[in-house]
Amino acid sequence: MLFRTITKENFRKMVEALMENNEVIGPKWRDRDTEGNKIYRFLKLNTFDELQMDYTRSYSSPKNYFLPFKEDLSTYRLEDKDWEQEIHYTIHPRVIIGMRACDINALLKLDQVLVKSAYPNPHYVARRRNTLIIGLDHEPLEDCFCRSMNSDTAFHGFDLFLTDIGEKYFVAINSDTGYMIVNRFDAREVAEDDQRRYKEVKGRIETKFKTQVDVTIVPELMDLEFESDVWKKWGDKCLSCGSCAMVCPTCYCYGIEEHTNLTFTKATKRRVLYSCNLLDFATVAGGHNFRPEAHIRLKYRYYHQFRGFVEAFNQSLCVGCNRCGKACLAGISPKVVIDDLIETEKR
Amino acid sequence: MSLQIPHHDINLEPSMSKPPDFNRQSVLMHTERGFKSEVISIVPLTTQEKLFHIRICDPCERENFTFLPGQFVMLELPGCGEVPISISSSTSNKEFIALCVRKVGKVTGMLHRLKQGAIVGIRGPFGTHFPMEKMVGYNILLIAGGLGIVPLRSPIYWTKEHRSDYKDITVMYGAKEPGQILFDYQFEEWRKIYGLKMLTIVQEAGENWNGRVGLITELFKEVTIDPDNTFAIVCGPPVMFKFVCGHLSNLGLPRQRMFVSLERRMHCGMGKCCRCNVGSTFTCLDGPVFDYWTVMNLKEAI
Amino acid sequence: MKYLGITLERPKIGVFSFTGCEGCQLQIANKEETLKDLFGVVEVVNFREISSEGRDDYEIAFVEGSITTESESARVKKIRKQAGTLVAIGACACLGGVNNLKSRFSLPDVVKEVYGTHPIDTGPVRKVKDVVRVDIELPGCPISKPEFEWLVRHLILGIEPQFLQYSVCVECKQRLNSCVFDMGMMCLGPITRAGCNAVCPRNRLGCWGCRGPAEEANFESLMEILRERGFSEEHIAERMNFFNAFGGIL
Ligand SMILES: Cc1cc2nc3c(=O)[nH]c(=O)nc-3n(C[C@H](O)[C@H](O)[C@H](O)COP(=O)(O)OP(=O)(O)OC[C@H]3O[C@@H](n4cnc5c(N)ncnc54)[C@H](O)[C@@H]3O)c2cc1C
Ligand code: SF4
Ligand code: SF4
Ligand code: SF4
Ligand code: SF4
Ligand code: SF4
Ligand code: FES
Repeated sequence: MLFRTITKENFRKMVEALMENNEVIGPKWRDRDTEGNKIYRFLKLNTFDELQMDYTRSYSSPKNYFLPFKEDLSTYRLEDKDWEQEIHYTIHPRVIIGMRACDINALLKLDQVLVKSAYPNPHYVARRRNTLIIGLDHEPLEDCFCRSMNSDTAFHGFDLFLTDIGEKYFVAINSDTGYMIVNRFDAREVAEDDQRRYKEVKGRIETKFKTQVDVTIVPELMDLEFESDVWKKWGDKCLSCGSCAMVCPTCYCYGIEEHTNLTFTKATKRRVLYSCNLLDFATVAGGHNFRPEAHIRLKYRYYHQFRGFVEAFNQSLCVGCNRCGKACLAGISPKVVIDDLIETEKR
Repeated sequence: MSLQIPHHDINLEPSMSKPPDFNRQSVLMHTERGFKSEVISIVPLTTQEKLFHIRICDPCERENFTFLPGQFVMLELPGCGEVPISISSSTSNKEFIALCVRKVGKVTGMLHRLKQGAIVGIRGPFGTHFPMEKMVGYNILLIAGGLGIVPLRSPIYWTKEHRSDYKDITVMYGAKEPGQILFDYQFEEWRKIYGLKMLTIVQEAGENWNGRVGLITELFKEVTIDPDNTFAIVCGPPVMFKFVCGHLSNLGLPRQRMFVSLERRMHCGMGKCCRCNVGSTFTCLDGPVFDYWTVMNLKEAI
Repeated sequence: MKYLGITLERPKIGVFSFTGCEGCQLQIANKEETLKDLFGVVEVVNFREISSEGRDDYEIAFVEGSITTESESARVKKIRKQAGTLVAIGACACLGGVNNLKSRFSLPDVVKEVYGTHPIDTGPVRKVKDVVRVDIELPGCPISKPEFEWLVRHLILGIEPQFLQYSVCVECKQRLNSCVFDMGMMCLGPITRAGCNAVCPRNRLGCWGCRGPAEEANFESLMEILRERGFSEEHIAERMNFFNAFGGIL
C-alpha cells in the first residue's frame, strides 16, 4: 500500500472532476432527528458541497450500490409460445466516497458469497468492478462494535482511504486507478509531520471504542443456546419488519419476482432483497412455513450472521456497525441479544 | 480537468461469451441465462401430476447438459416465476429431460396449462446427487412416499444401465390411495427388464385395489435387509423419511448409508438467496441430497 | 392474446362506485400511457367514470367505496349475482375506510349533523365483505395503478394473486427514507401491509395503515413501542382507527 497526502482544496477539485463524468455517491443529509442531528444517507452527489465529510453514520449502508434493493436480472420479449431473454449488466462507472472501514469489510464479506463462492454473481461482479471506492476514517460512535468484529480497519477492498489530519487528508492508496487519480491532484509524499498527525488521529480513534461484544464464543453459544428463552424474549418484541436486514451492510438474501407487462409482450425477472425475519421467508407452496414464529426467524438472522457464515468462511457476517440496532424500533441489537445469551449461559 | 474512471465490461470476459455450464460452479457466467427448452410431450398422470418431457432447443447446449441422479433444475416460465424440480429421467438420455410436476401454486399451476410446443427455460443442474458410485457392489433400497418416486426414477434408470454394478435392488413405494400411484405403467418393465424387486402399498384402498394396504413400513416385513451390504435412498415427506430411516437404523443400517432429499423454498439454486437455508447449510448447494447422519445433525432439518 | 402459447380471454369488467371519494376509480382511469393497453386486455362494459353507457354482462366487478345505505346494499348484491369475480378496491371497500369515522358517533347525531332534518336513507358504514362475498381485496387509499394492473394480469392469467405479506418498513428502508419515528412522528408502517412503496414516509408523514394489517403483524409490540415513545392513548387510538384497519386491537 502507498501513502500520500492531499490538501482538502485539492480533494474538492478531485471530487468535482470525478463528478463530471461519473456518478459519484456520498453521504448527504436531508432530515434531522428530534435532537437536531442530521440524518445521513448515501446518495448521488450533485455538488461537492452536498458531500458531508464529517458525517457520523448513514442510517442505511451503501450496500445497495452493489446489491440494489431491486434489480432486474433479466428481461424477456414474449411472442406466442416463444420468447427471447436479454440480460444487461450495469457497467457505468461509479465512485463512492466516504465508506467506513466496516462497510468496506462488509463488501469483502459479500465478495466471499457473491464472487468467490460457487456461481459468482455477474450482476454483482459488474457493479463491483465498476465502482471506485474512497474510504473515510472516523471516530467510532457510542454503539459501534466493529472492533469486536475485527472490522474497524480496512486493509484492502478500496481504491483510496482517507484520514482527516487537519487541512489535509492522509491517503492510503490501494489501486492503480486510485493512484492515478490522486496524483493528478497534486498528492504529496507523506512528510514527517503528516505521519505524526496521522498517528495521533489513529491513536485517538483507538481510545474511542466504547461498545464491546464478546463474539469469540458466539458461534458455539448459538448452538448451546439454541433453545434459549432469550430468543423468545426478543422474538416477542420483533415486528418482523425486516428493517434490520435492509439497513445491514452484509445481509444479502433475496426473493425473485417475475412480472409481465399489461399486454403480455414483455417480462422481467427481478431480484428483491429480503430478510429472514419476514414471515414468508421459508414458506413453501401449500402454506407450510419452516419458520413460523418471529422468535425462530430472529434466531436465524443471528444464526446466519454469527454462526452459519463462520462455518462457511471462518468469519462472522456481521461487521459491528449496529445499523440494525439503530433501525430496530423494538430495541433489538446484536449487543443486547448476545449479552443476554452470554448471561444465560453463565447461569 | 475531468476524470473518467475506466470501466470494465464483464461481457468481454472469455467465459461470459459461452452458454453457461452449471457443472462448472466456479466460472463466471450468465447465471441467469436459462436454456430455452421445448415441451415435447405432456403426459397427465393423475389429476394433480403431469409428466413433462422437455428438450433443450440448442443442440450444443443440449449436448453439454449433463447431470447426476438426484439433481434438480430451476424451471422458469418467463413472467410467471421459477421453481426447483427434480430431474426424473435417465442421465444418459440426451433427447429429453423428464420433469414430473404436481400442481400446487402459481408456477406449477401455469405449467399444467401449457401445451406441447411451449418454450420454457431451465437452469441447472443444481445440487448434490445420490452417490451411485459409492453404492457399487451393494444392495440398494429405493424407498419412496408419494411424490418421492419422482426423484427416484433417475437412480432407477441408472441401476438399469449399470445393473451388474449392484446386487439386489428393491423399490418400495407407498402412496395415499391407488389413484395417486405414479408411473405404475412402468412397474412391469422395472421388474422384468430392470430386474428390480417392486413393492407397493397404499394407505387407503379403493374399490379396485387388491394390493397391500398400510403404511410404508409394512413393506419391511417382506424384505430381508442385510445392514452390512445395503444402501438406502429414501424420498418423501419428512414424516415419512424420519420414520423409515429410524426403522432402517434400528435394523442396523448406518445413517451414512441412507440418503434423503430435502425440500425447502428456493429462489436461486446457487447458494445466493438464502431461502433454502437450514441452520447453516444451503439445501441447494450442500443438498438436496444428504446422508441421514448429516440431516440429523442439521438444526431445524426435520 | 397469448402467453407462452396459452390463449388468454379478454375479460369483461365493470367498475362500480359506492360511498367513497371515487379516488380509486380515478386511479384506474388516469395514467394515459397505459390506459390504452388496459382497454386492449379487458373489455370495459360498465364504468361511469369513462362512459355513461353501461352493460350488465361483466365477468369481473371492481367495487369501490363502502356500503352505507339500503339501496347500496341492494345494488352490490345485484353486482355480486352477476360477477364471477368480485374485487373490492380501496380502503373504503376493504376496511370501511375513512367513512368509518361516521360509525364512531351515534347515527342520528351524524344524520343531523350532515343532513340537517331532511329524512335520509343511511345506515352504518360497512365494508363490502360485510354485505356480500368478496373474492379479492385490493387495498390502498387510493389504490395504486401499478398494483391494479398487476391484479388485472393475474385475473387474465387466472392466477390467484399473492399480495405482499410483509410490512411497509421493508419498502420504506428500500427507498432510504428517514424513519419518521426518528423525527418524533408516529407511524403504522411496521404493522401495515406493504405495496404502496412507502409513499407517506417518503413524504415525511407516518403511515396511517390504509392498506390494512400486514400478515401476522405484531400489534402488541408496536403498541408497546408507541407508548414507550410517549404517544398518548388518544393519539394512538385516533391513528389506529383512522382507516378502521386494525379493528378490535385497541
Ligand atoms: C430440490 C427440489 C426438488 C423438487 N422437485 C419437485 C418435483 O420433481 N416435482 C414437483 O412437483 N415439485 C418439486 N419440488 C417442489 C416444487 O419446487 C414446488 O412445488 C414449487 O416451487 C411450487 O411453486 P409454485 O409457484 O407453483 O407455488 P407457489 O406457492 O405459488 O410458490 C411461490 C414460489 O415459492 C417458492 N416455493 C414454493 N414452494 C416451494 C417448494 N416446495 N420448494 C421450493 N420452492 C418453493 C418458489 O420459488 C415458487 O415460485 C421440488 C422442490 C425442491 C426444493
Ligand atoms: S429485529 Fe427489529 S428491525 Fe429486525 S425485523 Fe425485528 S423488529 Fe424489525
Ligand atoms: S441474516 Fe437473514 S436477512 Fe441477513 S442475509 Fe442472512 S438470511 Fe438474509
Ligand atoms: S448485523 Fe447489524 S451490526 Fe452487524 S453488520 Fe448487520 S447491521 Fe451492522
Ligand atoms: S417510517 Fe414507518 S414505515 Fe418507514 S421504517 Fe419507520 S416505521 Fe417503518
Ligand atoms: S404508507 Fe401507509 S397510509 Fe401511506 S399509502 Fe402506504 S399503507 Fe397507506
Ligand atoms: S436456493 Fe437460493 S440459496 Fe439455495
